[in-house]
Formats: sequence, structure tokens, C-alpha cells
Amino acid sequence: MDDHPIVREGLRTVLQGRLGWEVVGEASNGIEALEKAGSLLPDVMVLDITMPKMNGLEVCRLARQKTPGLEVLFVTQHDSPQMMREALSAGAKGYVVKSNAARDLLRAIEVVIQHQVFTALTRPDPVTSGGLDGGRD
Amino acid sequence: MKLRILLADDHEIVRRGLCALLQRHEGWEVCGEAVDGREAVEKAKQLKPDVVIVDIGMPNLNGLDATRQLLQHDPNFKVIVLTVTDADQAIREALDAGARGFVLKSDAARDLVSAVEALQSKRMFFTPRVNDLLLAGFLEKGHAISQSQPPSLPTLTAREREVTQLLAEGRSSKEAASLLNLSTKTVETHRSNIMRKLSLHSIRDLVVYAIKNKIIQIEISPDRNPPAAKVAEQGQGTDSPA
Repeated sequence: MDDHPIVREGLRTVLQGRLGWEVVGEASNGIEALEKAGSLLPDVMVLDITMPKMNGLEVCRLARQKTPGLEVLFVTQHDSPQMMREALSAGAKGYVVKSNAARDLLRAIEVVIQHQVFTALTRPDPVTSGGLDGGRD
Repeated sequence: MKLRILLADDHEIVRRGLCALLQRHEGWEVCGEAVDGREAVEKAKQLKPDVVIVDIGMPNLNGLDATRQLLQHDPNFKVIVLTVTDADQAIREALDAGARGFVLKSDAARDLVSAVEALQSKRMFFTPRVNDLLLAGFLEKGHAISQSQPPSLPTLTAREREVTQLLAEGRSSKEAASLLNLSTKTVETHRSNIMRKLSLHSIRDLVVYAIKNKIIQIEISPDRNPPAAKVAEQGQGTDSPA
């Protein structure tokens, strides 16, 4: 779920290289993401934070309420500990910075589908460093 | 013979998307990738691609300065600029830098192939908004838009702009010197000249100048204030792929 088709294309190329994984749908805005999460019932939803119509944090909250088993992984431009904490508070299990997505995405999903937390900022979060940041919780 | 394309964007996920898009076109190949403007210039000189696609917001050397350096080295380079905004200033700067194509990142999946095809046919490619602006500038002023409002940037030399970007990104004079293959003393001289020319008094002033003049871009949080504190290489107010 990203409003930029070229980013979705990049994410798809990374995900499709993984045997046993399937991209079941794409969305270009928050409302569409929420609707598709409800209809397609994916195991993991990869979400951008800033999207038209509804931001990713709100999508995450609502999607998790409607589908409790759904895990959410954010792939975002925001390399910010504060934003990462908000994402986790919204119910996400994963947080990957877009600049490192090609490197971190597969590992993040592997962790998130085990219902564990994966976060990877480019710099340590002063609050959670030694705990969450840079890998498994 | 295949059309050879060099891609420069600091986000690998974006490069993957662009690569996938371009390589679906028969007869084209991505002959190289670069993660910043400096690498783009080096690889372009080495690989001599038919088309260079550069993101504007890249670390170390932004896409516009990379374009200027490329065309200074060889005016025959064909450069397409990828940008997150088609604001007037961005358009002016891209044209001024010598880009022959201007594509919004949000529209890249739709427009990039057309842009490369245009350059392949020795034409230029601009978004409808750029065309409107060019036409308006032509009709109002009777000459090209790039002459209608001189950009503020060329008050600095190309080298000074490079130093400005590196210092504004938080690098020390020593680090900047190492990246530019200059002595620390030379970088410090450039820094003094920059501060004097622009009447700046601190690194904070320099960062503000660099942001205002799009030498670096800031990351802004989506729905809240204040913006994220980090000075980032791209963003333009959205969580864009930039």
C-alpha cells in the first residue's frame, strides 16, 4: 500500500522473489488499503504512512480492529523514533525506513508473520535502543 | 543496439521499481545504478549511457548539481530529472540545469517510458504543467522561462554548492574535503566564501539557505506539527519515494 506506483513496483519485485509469498493486492490510498485488507484478508499488510484519503496510522488502527490477526508492517520515509513509536502504538508489528526497504523488507516480514516486532531505523532510537531497534524485539 | 540507461536514486526500492519498469521495454537496458549524485556523475562518465535518470533529492550531490556537472563534462548527455514537485521553482531549476526531461515521481510509472522515448527521438519531455509554464513564460516575456526569473542559486559556484550541500547535511569540513578530494583548508576557504557571499553567520543559517534553495530537502511528518527534526535528502512534505 503506497500512493506511488513506482514504489509499489519496487516492493513487488522484492516480495515476488520470495518463494511461498504472494502479493495479493495493491492500494494507492488509505481507504482503498482498508477496504482491500478487509476483503483480501492478507497475512501481512505493508503500509506507507503518508497516503491520500486516510493516513497509514489510521488505516493500521482500523484494519487491526476489524481483522485482529492481520499484522502490519510500515515502510516509510520517516526515519523518526517518534513516528516509529506511534506506528507501534497503532498496532503495527514492523517499521522499516524506505531508504533501507530493499535490504530490510524480507527479514521484517519474516519476523512480523511470527507476530514479533521488527524495527529498523537508520539511527538508534534513544528510548528503545538496545531493545527494539535494528531487529527483533 | 540497446538504449543504455543510468539510474540514480538513493532509495534502492525506487531503483528496483524504475528498473522493472524500464526493462520491460524491449531494446532498453539499465546499464548502471547510482545512489547519489556524485556516483551518478562518475558512472555516467565511465559508462557513457544514452540517457541518465536522476532524482533531484539525493545526498552528497543533489540531482540538479549532478546534471550541471554532467553537462559541463559533456553537453551531449541526455538527462531526465525525477522530482517530487512540479512547483515553478523546481521546473526553472531543472531547465536551468539543462535537463531534457522532467517527470514527477508520482507519475513515473505513467510518464517515464514516454520521457525516455522522447529523448531517444531527440525530443524533450515535460509534464503538462511544465509545458504550460514554458508557454506562459514565452507569451508573457517573449523569451524562454529560464530568462524570466534568474534563479538565486548561481550566486555560488558549482564547487561552493557542493560544499554547501555537504555541510548542510551535517558533514564536517574534513569529511567534505575527503568526499571532494580536496584539502580541509580548501573546504574551509570555500565555506568562508559561501558565508561571506550569502551573508550567513552560522551553520544553522547555511542549513536554512540550503533548504530554501532546494540544495537539500527536509522530511516533514504527515499529519502533525512540528516537522520531524531530521534533515533528509528528500520528502517535500510527503512520504514520497523521493
